[in-house]
Amino acid sequence: MVSLARKNLLHDRLRFVITVAGVAFAVTLVLVQVGLFLGLLGKATVTIENSSADIWVTSRETPNVDFAHSFPETTVLRVRGVAGVEKADNAIVQFMNIMLPSGAEEGCLVYGLEDFSAWNLPWDVESGDPTELRRGDFILMDRSAERRFGPFQVGDYREILGHRFRIIGATRGAASFTTAPVVFMDFRRAQGLQQTVHNRTSYILVKVAPGHDAAQVAERIRAVTPYNDVYTRAEWAARSRNYWVVSTGLGMNMGITVFLGILVGIVVVAQTLYTSAVEHVKEFGTVKAIGGSNWDIYRILGEQALIAAVVGYAIGAAMSFGMRPLLAQLHLNVLVSPQFAATVFAGTVLMCLGAAMLSFKRVAGIDPALVFRA
Amino acid sequence: MNAMLAPFCCDREAPPRDALSAREVLAVEDVRKTFEEGSQKVEVLRGVSLAVDQGEVVALEGPSGSGKTTLLSIMGCILTPSAGRIRIAGREVSGDEAALRDVRKRSIGFVFQQYNLFPALTALENVEYALNVKGVRGRGANAEAARVLDLVGLGDRKRFLPRDLSGGQKQRVAIARALAGSPEVLLADEPTANLDTAVGTQILELFQKLAKEENKGLVIVTHDPKVRNVADRVVGIRDGRLSDPTEH
Ligand SMILES: Nc1ncnc2c1ncn2[C@@H]1O[C@H](COP(=O)(O)OP(=O)(O)O)[C@@H](O)[C@H]1O
Ligand SMILES: [Mg+2]
Repeated sequence: MVSLARKNLLHDRLRFVITVAGVAFAVTLVLVQVGLFLGLLGKATVTIENSSADIWVTSRETPNVDFAHSFPETTVLRVRGVAGVEKADNAIVQFMNIMLPSGAEEGCLVYGLEDFSAWNLPWDVESGDPTELRRGDFILMDRSAERRFGPFQVGDYREILGHRFRIIGATRGAASFTTAPVVFMDFRRAQGLQQTVHNRTSYILVKVAPGHDAAQVAERIRAVTPYNDVYTRAEWAARSRNYWVVSTGLGMNMGITVFLGILVGIVVVAQTLYTSAVEHVKEFGTVKAIGGSNWDIYRILGEQALIAAVVGYAIGAAMSFGMRPLLAQLHLNVLVSPQFAATVFAGTVLMCLGAAMLSFKRVAGIDPALVFRA
Repeated sequence: MNAMLAPFCCDREAPPRDALSAREVLAVEDVRKTFEEGSQKVEVLRGVSLAVDQGEVVALEGPSGSGKTTLLSIMGCILTPSAGRIRIAGREVSGDEAALRDVRKRSIGFVFQQYNLFPALTALENVEYALNVKGVRGRGANAEAARVLDLVGLGDRKRFLPRDLSGGQKQRVAIARALAGSPEVLLADEPTANLDTAVGTQILELFQKLAKEENKGLVIVTHDPKVRNVADRVVGIRDGRLSDPTEH
C-alpha cells in the first residue's frame, strides 16, 4: 500500500514540523503540569499512605491531616472497646514554633505518638531510633527540613516552643503539603508543650483486627464517637487531597492548563491539517476522479492526524522526562504513572483525530470535475 | 486481452452482446447538459450521440467552450447529463454517486492536460496508489504499476518524483496510471496542450499504440491538429452538437 497521507506529510516538511511541535507542546504541558501537581499532591497524604492506621478518627470537620484540631484524649478508650479494633492510639499533629540557630523562628509540624513503631511512623529512618523518643527531650527531624531550616546534625539542639530538644536522628520523605518540616516527638511531651492540647489529642489511629472490614469497623466507631469524624485510610487521604485541590484553586488551575494545552493542540493540528487539505484539493479531486470515495480522503486526513499524534506524543513525552532532573533540582517532583501517560496518549490521538474531522466537511465537498480545470 | 490482466477484470461480467455492437465499450445517446448559473440556463450539450469501440481512437475536436470537456466528463462518469443515456462496457450507467464512482473505478482511465500527478509520490507510487484506490493492493499493485510504466517507456524512471520528470515524461506516467487496472475506456482531455510539438507527437503515437495493443476505446479531446494522424475517427463538436463524423 502506498500511503499518500505519509508521503504528503513528509513532502510538506515544514508544516509537519509545526503540527508535531503543536502536539508536542500540548503533551509536554499536560504531562509536566499534571505530573507536578500529582507530585505536589503526594505530600498532602504521604503520612496517611505510609502509616499502618486503617482508620483515622478526627475532630469534627477537620479539613486535612495537617490542619488538625483537638478532642479529649479519653475518646480513645471508647474506640478501643469497639469490636474489630485491634489497636487504637492517640496521635498529635500540631504546628509548633521552632527556634533556629540563626535566631529565626520558624514553624514545624510535630507528630507526637507514644509508640511510633506500632504505626510505621516514621517509615524511612536515616539514623536514630524512634523508640528512644520516649526517654527524654528528643526529636527526629526530617531531612527535607534542611531546605528551609539549613543543615542540621544529629546531636544538635533545637528549641521548640521554648523547650530544648536534642535531635537524636533523621528521617526521610516525611513532608506536609504546607511545606512545614516534620518533626517526630513523644506524645506526652508534645501534649505538654502546648496548652491547647493538654489532655487532648489530634487523632486516634486505629488498626483493624484481621478478618474485619475497615468500613464496617469505621461505622461502628462512628456510633460510639458522636462528636468525631471517622474515615478509612482511603477516605481520609481523599479528603486531605481534595482540600488542597479545591481550596487552593490548584484543581481549577490544573483544569485550565490542561484545557489550554488541548486547545493549543487542537488549534494547531486543525489549522495545519485544514491548510494542507485546502492545498491538496486538486489531489483529492484526482483521488475522487479515479474512483476514490470521501472515506478514502477522510482516511488520508485521519492517518496524517494519527502520525502527528504519535510523533508529537513521543517528542512531548521525551521532553517531559528530560525536564524531570531539572525540576528535581528545584525540589519539584513530576509524578507520571504509566496509566496517566497512557491516558494522555489516548487523549492526544483523540485530539488529533478530532482536529482532522474539522476538515472533513471541506474535502467532502470537493468536485472531481476540477481535475479538468487549470 | 493480455493474460496478465486477468486478475483485474475477472469480476467483470461479459457485456450483453445482442443489442449492441460486439466491440462497443462506450456509448452516449442523445446526451444533453444544461448548467444553471443563477437565473441563467446555459445549454452546453444539445443532444450528443457517440459510440466508441474496442481498440478505436476517436478525436474530439472543437473550439474552446464548445462543450468538449463537459462531454468527456459525462463519458467519464464525473458529471451526470441533464438527459440522455450512457453505456460503458455494455452496462447502462445509473445516476447515483456510488454507481458512478464504481464505473470510474473499474472502467475509466483519465489523462489530463495538467497531468494531475501526486507530487509527493514517485512515478511508480503514483500508479500504484491509483491501483490501491481502485481496490488492487499489495504486490499485485506493485507489479502492475511496474508493468504499465515499462509499457510507456519509463522503466528507468520509476523512482523519480514528478518534479524531476519532463512534461512528456509526466504525461507518460499519467498514461500509465490511466492504463493501470485495465479499464475498458481511456479518456484524455487536451493531453498535448502543455507539450511542445515533437513531444506531443510522441505522446499521441504512444497513446495510439497502447490503445490498440491493450484494446482500449480511446477518446482524445483536443484542438491539436496532430491528433488527426493517430485517430481512427475525428468528431467535431460545435455549439453542443456533433458535426458529421469524418472517417479518417
Ligand atoms: N460547471 C459549470 N457551470 C457552468 N458552466 C459551465 C460549467 N462547466 C462548463 N461550463 C460552460 O460550458 C461551456 C463548455 O465548457 P467546456 O465543456 O469546458 O468547453 P471546452 O472544453 O470545449 O472548452 C462553457 O461555456 C463553459 O463556460
Ligand atoms: Mg476543455
